[in-house]
Amino acid sequence: MAEFESMIPVPGVKNHVFEACHHVVKALRASDNNLDANLRKLLSDLESHLSTFGIVDTKVEDTGFSEIQERFKEALKRILSWETNQSMILEAGLSEADQFFQALYEVHTVLMGFKSLPIKTSRKEKDVYNQATVALDIAMLRLEKELCDVLYQYKQHAQPEYLAVSSRGKDIVYDESFVSLDDEVVIEASSHKDDEHIAGFQNADLVDPSVLPHIKAIANAMFACEYGRAFCEAFIRVRREALDEYMFTLEMERFSCVDVLKMEWDVLNVAMRKWTRVVKIITQIYLASEKQLCEQILGDFESKSFACFIEISKDTILSLLSFGEAVALRSCQPEMLERFLSMYEGSAEILLDVDNLFPDETGSFLRMGFHELSKKLADRTTATFLKFKDAIASAESSRPFPGGGIHHLTRYVMNYLKLLPEYTDTLNSLLQNINVEDSIPEKTGQDIRPSTFSPTAKHLRSIVSVLESNLERKAQLYADESLKFIFMMNNFHYMVQKVKGSELKHLFGDEWMRKHIARYQHNVTDYERSTWSSTLALLRDNNSVSTLRERCRLFCLAFDDVYKSQTRWSVPDPELRDDLHISTSVKVVQSYRGFLGRNAARIGEKHIRYKCEDIENMLLDLFECLPSPRSLRSSRRR
Amino acid sequence: MAPATEHQSSFLSRISRRNQVVSMDVNHEQELEELEDFQKHVAEGFNELLPPSDSPESDPILSIQWLRKLLDVFMSCESEFHSVLTANQAQISKPPLDKLVPEMLDRIVKALDICTAVVNGVDSVRQIQRLAEIAVTALKQTPLSDGSVRRAKRALTSLLAAFNADKSSGGSSGGSSGGSGRRTTTTEQWSSFGRRSGGGGGGCVSKNWSAAKQIQAMTANLVVPRGSEASPIYIMSSVMVMVMWTLVVAVPCQTSNGLTVHLPLPKHQVWASAAVSITEKIGEEMKRKEMRSGGLMEEMQRMERIGLKLMEFSEGFRFNGEVEVVAEVAEMEEICRKMEDGLEVLQRRVREVFHRLVKSRSEILEVIGHCNV
Repeated sequence: MAEFESMIPVPGVKNHVFEACHHVVKALRASDNNLDANLRKLLSDLESHLSTFGIVDTKVEDTGFSEIQERFKEALKRILSWETNQSMILEAGLSEADQFFQALYEVHTVLMGFKSLPIKTSRKEKDVYNQATVALDIAMLRLEKELCDVLYQYKQHAQPEYLAVSSRGKDIVYDESFVSLDDEVVIEASSHKDDEHIAGFQNADLVDPSVLPHIKAIANAMFACEYGRAFCEAFIRVRREALDEYMFTLEMERFSCVDVLKMEWDVLNVAMRKWTRVVKIITQIYLASEKQLCEQILGDFESKSFACFIEISKDTILSLLSFGEAVALRSCQPEMLERFLSMYEGSAEILLDVDNLFPDETGSFLRMGFHELSKKLADRTTATFLKFKDAIASAESSRPFPGGGIHHLTRYVMNYLKLLPEYTDTLNSLLQNINVEDSIPEKTGQDIRPSTFSPTAKHLRSIVSVLESNLERKAQLYADESLKFIFMMNNFHYMVQKVKGSELKHLFGDEWMRKHIARYQHNVTDYERSTWSSTLALLRDNNSVSTLRERCRLFCLAFDDVYKSQTRWSVPDPELRDDLHISTSVKVVQSYRGFLGRNAARIGEKHIRYKCEDIENMLLDLFECLPSPRSLRSSRRR
Repeated sequence: MAPATEHQSSFLSRISRRNQVVSMDVNHEQELEELEDFQKHVAEGFNELLPPSDSPESDPILSIQWLRKLLDVFMSCESEFHSVLTANQAQISKPPLDKLVPEMLDRIVKALDICTAVVNGVDSVRQIQRLAEIAVTALKQTPLSDGSVRRAKRALTSLLAAFNADKSSGGSSGGSSGGSGRRTTTTEQWSSFGRRSGGGGGGCVSKNWSAAKQIQAMTANLVVPRGSEASPIYIMSSVMVMVMWTLVVAVPCQTSNGLTVHLPLPKHQVWASAAVSITEKIGEEMKRKEMRSGGLMEEMQRMERIGLKLMEFSEGFRFNGEVEVVAEVAEMEEICRKMEDGLEVLQRRVREVFHRLVKSRSEILEVIGHCNV
C-alpha cells in the first residue's frame, strides 16, 4: 500500500523529474496505440511543454531514473482508466486497488515536488504542474465515488429483532369504549407481550469490517492530498442516509408538535412505546457503533472523527428529542401514566450512553437535550401520577351502580395499578420527596419486606385509599342498606384478589391484606345482619308477637321480598358467591328447619308455603344477577 | 380555523372536575399603565432593529447578526409579557381575552414547529457554507491550476444548486457530486418519508409539514381588535408571528414557497410601526427575489452572488490567464467566517426561543387552569 507522507524533495531532483516526464511521454507515445482521447491529449500537452525545456538528454542519472519514468507513465494511465471505469475499485481486487493508490502517490509526489520549487521561473514547468493537478483531481473525485459506493454496498443493517432490547412485560392499552360512567362497562385490556430479548450490547458492525482498510486508505489518500473536506462531506452524506434508512425500518415516524397534541390516545400510545424502544436502540447500539466506525476511519485526523459523527447523528437525535418535547407538552391525562413512566425510564436509562456518545463541547447541545428532556419527563410523570389519584378522587357518580357488583372504576384502577410494580425503582426516585399518608402504620421487622414501605408502596396504597373513599361515597347512593354492604364487599374483595394475584402483594404487604380481608368479611356479616336479622327473628321461639301461622306467613313474605330483589344483585366472584350462599343457607335454612321442625304440625301443611328444600334452592338464586324479578312460582325447583 | 385542542377522550380526564377559584380583583388604572409600558417596550425593541440610515456598519436586515438581535428582542418582549400576564391573571380567563388565549396557545405550538424547522434550516445553510469553503480552499491555491478550478467548480455547482433546491418534495440535494447516481433510488424511497427537504443539510419536521402553511394558519385569526387598545395578548401574538415569519423568510425551511408577503400588522399603532417597516422592507426583498426557496439570509444572498461570479470565472478559466478573483475569494471567505461564527449561535438561540415558548405555554395553561372559566 502506498505510504502517503509529504515529501519535500531537494531542488536537484527537479531535473530528474522533468527528464522523467519527457521520457515517459516519449515512451507512452511510442508504446500504446489504444490510448483514449483524454490520455492522448494529456500526453501531447505534456510533450509540447517538455520539448521546450532544453534540459533534454543531458544529465541522465542512474538506473533508478527509468524506474521513475515508468511509474509516472503508469500512474497517469491508471488514473485515467479508472475515470472511465465506474465499477468498484475494491471489487477489482486488492492488487488493482493497491496500484491505484500507488498511481495516486506518484502524482502526488510529482505535485509535492513542484510545490517546493520556485515555480515562477518557467512557464512550461507550470504547465506540467497544471496537468498533474488535473490528474490528482480526477483521482480524488474517483476516490470519492469509490467511498460512497463501498460504504453503500457493504453496509450492514442488523435486523431490529437482533438488536432488540427487552421491553419488560406487557403493554396494556386501555380501550375506554363506554358511554357514561353509570352504564355497564367492559374494559378491554389488550396486552402485547414483548418477548424480545436483549441480544447483548456488543457493537454491531454497521459496515462489513473487511472493507474498512480500503476505506481508511481512501481517507488517508484524500486527506494527504488536502481533499479531506470532500471526504468528510461524502462520508457524512452516505452514513446519514444509512441512519435514515435504519430509522425507516424501525418505523419511527416524525411528528410535529401540532400532530402530537392532536393525536388520539391510542395512536400516541403506540408512538410513545415505539419511541421508548427506538431511543434505546439508537443510542445504546446503533450510534455507539457509528461512533466507533468514525473513529476507525477518521481517528487519525484530529477532531474530524467526532465532527463527522455529530453531523451524521444530529438530525436523528434532534428529531427524537423533538418527539419527547412534544409529548411533554401534552397535559397529564391520567391513563398516560404508564406510558410516561416507561418513556421517562427509557430517557433516564440512556443518559449515560448519551454522555459517552457526545462527551465534549461540540456535542453538548445533544447531550444536554437529553438531560433536559429526562427532567421534563420526570416532572410530567410525577404530575400524571398525582393527577391519576385526583381523577380517582373526583370520579363521582350520581346514580347507584346497578346490581352492587364491581364498579368499573375499581376494575380500572386495580388493573392499572398492577402495571406499576414494574416501575418501582423509577417511581421511588420520582416520589421520594412527596409525602403521603399511609393506610398502614410503618413497621420494620424480619417478616416485613423493605419494599412495603418504599415511596412507591406508600403512594400506591394511598391511591387505593382514595379509591376506597370514593367507593364508600358510591355505596351511600344505595337506598337498600344490604346492597350497600354487598357493593362494598364485592369491591373490596376484588381489590384484595388483584393485589394477591400480582406483584402488588409484595408492595402492599401482609398487614394491608389482613386489614382488607377483614373489611370485606365484615361487610358479609353486616349484610347478613341487615338482610336476615329481622326476618329470622320471626322464627325464634321467644317471639310471641303473633301466631305461629302468622309468623310463618310473614317469614315467607319477607323471604319473597329478599328473593325478588337480591336475585338481581351481583356477586361476580364465584367463590365469594358460593361462600355467601353457603353461609346464608346455613343461617337461614337452619333456622327455618328448626322452626318447622318445632311447629309444622301446629301451623298445618297448607299454610306452609315453602319447604326447607325450597328455601335452600331459592337461596342459590341470590346474587345471580338475574335480569328481571323471577316469578316466584316458576322459580320453584323440584 | 379551530384551534388545536388536546384530544379529550380519556376516561379519567373526562370524569375529573377542575377546582374552582374565585377570581381576583384588578385595578383598571394599573392595567392601562402596564399595557402602555408593554407597548413601549415592544416599540423600542423593534426600533433598535431598524437599520439607521447614518450608520452603514450596522447589521443589515436578515443578516445573521441581525437575526440574533431579532431573537433577543423577541425574548425580551416575551419576558415583559410574562410579567404582564402574572400581574393580570384573572383577566386572561374573562371575555374578551378568554377567546384570544386558546388561539395564542395554538400559535405557540405552531411556532414551536417553526423553530424546529428553522434549526434544521440552519443546518442546510451550514452545509452550503462547507461547500463554499471547499471552493475557497481550491481557489486560494497558488498558482491556480486547472485541477483546483475543477474542484472549485464542482463545489460551486452543488452550492448554487442548493440555493435553488426544490423544497416541496423531499428530494435529496446538496453535497458534492460523487457518483451518487446509483443511489437515487434509495434516496427517493425515503423522500416520501419526508427526509432531506431542507436542501441537503437539514432534516424535516414531519411528513408533509409546510412552513408557509403554518405561518398562514398563525396569521389567520390575527385580527386587529376593535376598540382603543390592543391587548398584551394580541401584541405578543403579533410579535411572535412576525418573528416566526421573518425566520422562515431568512432560513431555508421545509416548504417555505408560497410564503405570504404581507403580515396583518396594525400599521398605525405605535408599538407596531417599526415592526411594520421591517416587514415591508423584507416583503420588498421577497418580491425582488421572487421568494425562491433558498432563504433570504443576507449572507446567503451575498454568497449566491459571489458564487455566480466565481463560477463564471471558473468556467472561463485558462491556466496562466491574467484574470484574478482574489477579491471575490476573499469576500467569500469572509462570508464563510461570518457563518462559522454566527450560525451555531443563531441555532442555539432558536432552541432557546423554543424552550421559552414551551415555558410560556405552560404558564398560560396554569393561569387559566386556576381561574374561573
